[in-house]
Amino acid sequence: MEFKVLLKAGMKRHKGSLSGIFFLVFLVSVSLLTVVSLWSNAGSYIHAEMERVGFGDLTVWISAPKEPDALNRQIKDVDAVARVESQPLFYADYTANGVESDSEGQLILYREATDNYRFFKNELNGYEEGRAAIEPGAVYVSPSLISMMEVEIGDEISFATARNGGQITLKTAGYYEDPFMGSSMIGMKGFLISEADYQAIHAQTMEAGIDALAREGAMLHIFAEKDSGLTAAELNVRLNQETNIPLYTEFNHSAAAISGFMLILQQVFGGMLAAFALVLLFVTFVVLAHSISGVIEEDYVNLGILQTVGVSAGQLARIQQAQYVIVILAGMAIGVIASMPLNQLIAGMTVTTTGVLIPTGLPVGLSLLMFTGMLVLLVGFIHTKLNKIRRVTPMKVIRGEAHKLRWKPRRPCSLKADGLSGMLAVRQLITGLHHYIGVCIVAALLVFITSLVGRIDVWLGPDGSGMMAAFNPADLDIGIQALGEQSIEDMTAVVRSYTGITDEYRLAMPNVTVNDIDYGANVITEPQRFHILQGQTSLNENEIVVTETVAANFGVKPGDTLMVGSDLGTEEFVISGIYQCANDMGDNIGMSREGYLRIGKDNRQMWCYHYFLADPGQRGPITEALNTIYAGDVHVHENSWPGLLGIISAMQALTVLMYAMVTVFILIVTMMTGNKLMSYEQKDMAIYQSLGFSSGQLRTAFSIRFGMAAAVGAVIGCLMAALMTDPLVSAIMRLAGISDFTSHPSFSRLIFPAVLVSLLFGGFAFLAGRKIKKCDLSLLISD
Amino acid sequence: MKTILHGQNVTRIFQVGEDKNRVLDRVTVEIYEGDFTIIMGPSGAGKSTLLYALSGMESINDGTVLYRGHEINRYNEAQKARLRAQEFGFVFQQTHLVSNLTLFENIAVAGYVSKTGNSREIQERTRQLMRQMDVERAGGQLPSQVSGGEAQRAAIARAVIGKPGLLFADEPTGALNKSNSIVVLDLLTGLAADGQSIVMVTHDLRAAVRGTRLLYLEDGKILDEMRLSPYEKAEEKDRESRINAWLSHLRW
Repeated sequence: MEFKVLLKAGMKRHKGSLSGIFFLVFLVSVSLLTVVSLWSNAGSYIHAEMERVGFGDLTVWISAPKEPDALNRQIKDVDAVARVESQPLFYADYTANGVESDSEGQLILYREATDNYRFFKNELNGYEEGRAAIEPGAVYVSPSLISMMEVEIGDEISFATARNGGQITLKTAGYYEDPFMGSSMIGMKGFLISEADYQAIHAQTMEAGIDALAREGAMLHIFAEKDSGLTAAELNVRLNQETNIPLYTEFNHSAAAISGFMLILQQVFGGMLAAFALVLLFVTFVVLAHSISGVIEEDYVNLGILQTVGVSAGQLARIQQAQYVIVILAGMAIGVIASMPLNQLIAGMTVTTTGVLIPTGLPVGLSLLMFTGMLVLLVGFIHTKLNKIRRVTPMKVIRGEAHKLRWKPRRPCSLKADGLSGMLAVRQLITGLHHYIGVCIVAALLVFITSLVGRIDVWLGPDGSGMMAAFNPADLDIGIQALGEQSIEDMTAVVRSYTGITDEYRLAMPNVTVNDIDYGANVITEPQRFHILQGQTSLNENEIVVTETVAANFGVKPGDTLMVGSDLGTEEFVISGIYQCANDMGDNIGMSREGYLRIGKDNRQMWCYHYFLADPGQRGPITEALNTIYAGDVHVHENSWPGLLGIISAMQALTVLMYAMVTVFILIVTMMTGNKLMSYEQKDMAIYQSLGFSSGQLRTAFSIRFGMAAAVGAVIGCLMAALMTDPLVSAIMRLAGISDFTSHPSFSRLIFPAVLVSLLFGGFAFLAGRKIKKCDLSLLISD
Repeated sequence: MKTILHGQNVTRIFQVGEDKNRVLDRVTVEIYEGDFTIIMGPSGAGKSTLLYALSGMESINDGTVLYRGHEINRYNEAQKARLRAQEFGFVFQQTHLVSNLTLFENIAVAGYVSKTGNSREIQERTRQLMRQMDVERAGGQLPSQVSGGEAQRAAIARAVIGKPGLLFADEPTGALNKSNSIVVLDLLTGLAADGQSIVMVTHDLRAAVRGTRLLYLEDGKILDEMRLSPYEKAEEKDRESRINAWLSHLRW
């Protein structure tokens, strides 16, 4: 009975502190559940959908073979292959809402009877029942085109089918879920079209003959025998060695690579959110520690008195523990409830970036495991901290040892009239250091995590230039590729009519085989422009550079050799260095033009001319002019790609979310700590007021103390971010093939999180200090 | 005699739930400059409440309090703070020194707030007062490291460093032993002899004999007052007898 009475009384007395713990646990639970749901649901859903729709173990995108049935038979005859499924398609450049695509679109013939695609409701909040029949003139697209090109239902998309303006224009009828290339992180995009339109494109290209721009092809989904034991790369080698598929291959991707592409956004943002949630969990521990010591100090006398009437220290500790466990469980429970609509909100918000509607159900087993782990940690921590209660004895209470000051003054007086409030704040800070250490640690952690995100933001840049630098093998302002018979000189003249060209080089991206596995190659006329991370660039014709991903794939390093092949044969190349290019998640190599000519044919149309402009601001008008003059005969790209916008928006949303959470955390921590300190210091406050200090002065000093404690933590947080951001983020970025992450924030960006966090602590402390105005001077009266 | 503080119909009611307790009932009192005024009365009579009501520390429900002609009960929080910093000094029963300031700093800070000199002057005056109060050697100690008597003497120094117009003392010897009480009373008497206006609450006869004017408060009303000449040690017994007689007359 006494347990219940004391528990109720304790919870009533410490409702402020317990409410704070409740909110912190609630926020941590919501964040962790969101991460766990996002990771678990997105991962399992993409894999399940790829299997259901039929990606296979390896999908090879091919151009139309002369004898498709014979090629299929050859592939099936490879003993490791169980079956092959083919999806006919046309490759064609496309334009929507005035934006030209960066990569070719794939106009996929939709076969209602056999294709298993799911079609979204127009509101993108669910799926249409049954299978849609696609009407002639209609096209279904991935919802990621909304973020990439702002494609809405009813918008027209034009596909270039032939030179001299030959095109087919289709109206967007709706969105479908493409588990192979739906994410905005993937440049290639699929468009589901009707049989009638497919035939119309076929007829147009046949009629155009050599002037056809759209190319017929197919996706070959290759399913390996379950017991073959081959990896996708090994299967690729077998196919290249035993069939004619290399003659038709445009590119290929394994199921693992495609699911990796599809999950990049979820992984990267989930990773950052997880890191943030873990920081918040750590902050919760810090606050909990502070709250427990505060409660013990506040209840010191009561704890002693209760012991004199026969309540044991163990019972008292259990009562305190029960208080915390109740609010922690409540925070977790409300967190579970709140995370359900939140997951739905996130799924709805991300569908236009990820291209898939991530299921919102909570992964019960994983969530239970996570909560159990969290609860065990928290309860263990509380139990350890509450051991202090055992050190409270009635005699210590009688002797008044609750608030013993451990600080010793060095001089009789170190205070002066000028800046007295600041000096008193410092004194209070030094003498009550243990009260402010929590603030300091929390500030350090929050500044660290916000600095980390800020540094990623800086690296990304307002226009995504950091990301582009990671994806492009070399820098550029604008790239122009002349197709057909048009002359690059004429196109260059158009560029010069807008602004001068300060520098130029050429880049081609043919497919090659590396040790018989298909890879992309960046062939460049000036290899010194490659972004080299280690070793030397490939200046000689027998040299190549590889990404860290390729080096890891083959277990090679600079100085080793690889066999690189193309249409003229295969030659041995020495790896001269490691370079950065995150295209195809880092599955690519770089070489000089001279090196490539050892194995492949030169082709005027394969080269993209990369220019540096005197006025880079003219990129937009130049692109528009070239597209107007040369239509389908030119491919122009700037140092950007449509999916970048989605990433920048997601990054901005994440930053806003983090700052909002940080603000709420600081508010809770400050209110909790502030209220505790106010109760410790209320007598001192009353004394100061009796001496003539105004409540405004005391409130300001109180707020300065918090600001100073937070500022110390903020400096530590900034230093931690400076030391740890690059290696930590690099480790995450390597998942996306980006091996070189270095951030160089400006001074203002560097100190922004620190200043903001310190000001928030100071500001909220000023709010918490409103009680000083109500400070009762009668505390000093003895009548 | 010049009135320094004038309370008119001062009323203070404490309310706990439905119960109202009229602690001060339309008290009218004048405090004169240079007087060492003693407020006496039984426990719960409202002595400390009157002291703090007159000093502006305690709010009042009705009436007015005039300090040098200014109605201080209408002052806002900042004006009251300024009044406490520059015009009033307080000595409490518990010493109420700031726990993390040395004795020296406790005194000096009050001087800084009073703005009666620059840092150097205040520190010099602090040293002088500490000598006068005989706590010079404990200047670098924290309140928790000194005796109750030393702390109270430092509290008196703190109360007077701003050269207040009026010093309020609430049972300043209530928590001290006999010898320390005498030292504190001697200090207060000395200040009064130097012209410091003091209002002191006490129920201790040894303290009351130090006053020049005694007010008797009971049930929230001033029932009587008595005037005495300035304190002389030699007259202590005689003063005690007179006060005893007066209190007997008032049935205390």
